[in-house]
Amino acid sequence: MSDKTLLEVTDLVRYFPFREIQGLRMVKASVRAVDGISFSVQEGQTLGLVGESGCGKSTTSRLVTRLDTPTSGKIVFEGRDITTLKESQLRDIRRDIQMIFQDPYSSLNPRHTIGSILTTPLKVHGLHKGREKQRVKELLELVGLNPEHINRYPSEFSGGQRQRIGIARALAVEPKLIIADEPVSALDVSIQAQVMNLLAKLRDELGLAFIFVAHDLGVVRHFCDQVAVMYLGKIVEYGDKRNIYERPEHPYTQALLSAAPDINVARGVPPRERIRLVGDVPSPIDPPSGCRFRTRCWKAQELCATEEPPLVESTNAHLPIQGRENGLHLQACHFPEIKPALVAEVPA
Amino acid sequence: MPGAAAETDELAREVAEAESGPQLEDKRTGRSPGQIAWHRLKQDKVAIVCTMVVLFFVLVAIFAPLLTSLQAVDPVTGAKADPGTIHTELVDLNGFPKQGITSAHWLGVEKGIGRDLFARWVYGARPSLVIGFVAAALSTIIGVTMGLLAGYLGGVVDRIISWVIDFFLSLPFLLIVIAATPIIELRFGARGTLTAEQTSNIRFWLIIALLVLFGWMGLARLVRGEVVSLREREFVQAARAIGVPTRHILFKEILPNLVGPIIVSASIAVPAYITAEATLSFLGAGLVEPTASWGRTIADAQNSFQSYPLWLWPPVIGISALVLALSLLGDSIRDAFDPTTRR
Repeated sequence: MSDKTLLEVTDLVRYFPFREIQGLRMVKASVRAVDGISFSVQEGQTLGLVGESGCGKSTTSRLVTRLDTPTSGKIVFEGRDITTLKESQLRDIRRDIQMIFQDPYSSLNPRHTIGSILTTPLKVHGLHKGREKQRVKELLELVGLNPEHINRYPSEFSGGQRQRIGIARALAVEPKLIIADEPVSALDVSIQAQVMNLLAKLRDELGLAFIFVAHDLGVVRHFCDQVAVMYLGKIVEYGDKRNIYERPEHPYTQALLSAAPDINVARGVPPRERIRLVGDVPSPIDPPSGCRFRTRCWKAQELCATEEPPLVESTNAHLPIQGRENGLHLQACHFPEIKPALVAEVPA
Repeated sequence: MPGAAAETDELAREVAEAESGPQLEDKRTGRSPGQIAWHRLKQDKVAIVCTMVVLFFVLVAIFAPLLTSLQAVDPVTGAKADPGTIHTELVDLNGFPKQGITSAHWLGVEKGIGRDLFARWVYGARPSLVIGFVAAALSTIIGVTMGLLAGYLGGVVDRIISWVIDFFLSLPFLLIVIAATPIIELRFGARGTLTAEQTSNIRFWLIIALLVLFGWMGLARLVRGEVVSLREREFVQAARAIGVPTRHILFKEILPNLVGPIIVSASIAVPAYITAEATLSFLGAGLVEPTASWGRTIADAQNSFQSYPLWLWPPVIGISALVLALSLLGDSIRDAFDPTTRR
């Protein structure tokens, strides 16, 4: 794993403007899906993007793959600014950045055979000319499917198998970065593990970098090097996996972590403290002033409503945990605090 | 039952495959939704009967000269009948035919000018079928293209195309066709300068053009709606992420998913256009003499129905049977493509 930066995202913003008629007036408003986020991915590294529905994770992944164009901000891939490139200029980028989709039932065209689905990317980029079929069989084998199923239609496969086909399609163009948008959330738990293992195996074998989007911290835990927690279009905590899991400082991260089911309870260990968030996620059309989490935060004070907490380096970042050196740890809360009760029972 | 036997065979083969294990090369290919629909259609008795009826009319239209020549030589005129030749010697002074059904005139002769009715009937199938199928094909192509563009490109293109669709839907079809036909005809030459054949030819293509002009909107709307929902499906996003060109996405990714509704729409359009042609000809805005047309014959014959019903019945039966068969066939095709019908 090298330290070369593959993807650098700076102050990424995506508003979806719309018009609404209020009374007699036409009011222009916008959904602030992504509101100024920055992160970077190193070669061969995996970043986990975590947050609940509607926090802008999927929009972020669509922006990075340039299926959508950001309102402002900068996306730099391998030193090249791809923020505003036109479709015709994106050809190389389309080869280097691929996407794995959430729903294996809608991500494969029901009218095409597996062979045709996997040959399309090869043909579009002119790869393996003349031996496409051979290559498709190799890809199927790579993701653990029977290469003889090449002439079958997606409807003949289970959800897990379809997701493997989706993975094979993403791998067909030999990308450097794969954005996986909740690739296992539509699958059975037993199949989830298989697919996660496959992704981990492929990442190690092919040296791929990943952005892994998920809505719970549990799935991300064993797969990612770094984790960014999003809330309402903003990153609230961002850092190395160990920092996020072992000493989260932002109350939202703590709440997310405490929501994960605790297997130790079954073994007789008293249940750890659980944080129950009240209320709904505020509307991204009109987010709360100051800190966006304040409406649901138990620590909220006056300061939180007036001043937006910046994403800054954690004050505890210099403290080594268990003798190891710490990596990156950024958080955006006015009152960061490590809750020992929360993390005590969570082994790394 | 042959169907059951085929299924048993398939089952036996699957069992054999399962037993022989994965080392056996699996040559079996999956069935596309289109193949499933085709398979269902082949098992639908109504569809088969209707296909045969339609096929009968198509063959009648193709072999019209041959069928006409099968009639015997007329002893009075001394010639074989054809749809255009006038035989005033076969009618009396009141215009009524002197004879009924004979070996030379299987359906008798026309009142007034004595043309052979069987020949008129078999040749009359030609414009009906040609107009029906050509207009359906053209309006399907236009409707699909417009729908695809409006649905996929969205924005201004969508708004313009949707407006045009609404505009054409709001126009009174019959009124415009009846009013416009003679006006457009004048563009090709002043009244009286065109021969009857030329006029008839112009009318023929004019009817197709007008039917297409007023017939593409329904399908365009349908396709637009489908495309709007398909566009956001993940396989389209995946194709975009791979860098597949837009034209490719439209015709290779999205269009194959619309085959069902398009075929259904086209199969319903054919009988509708055949009826429309007959209606226009009946009203005088459609085909004109000397082209044989069922609609025209019905218009001519209805005044003498009480005294000479034989004139009216053949075209009425022809149109009814053809349109009924095509409509039922369209229904069967729709059922075959509908995943919710299980048979």
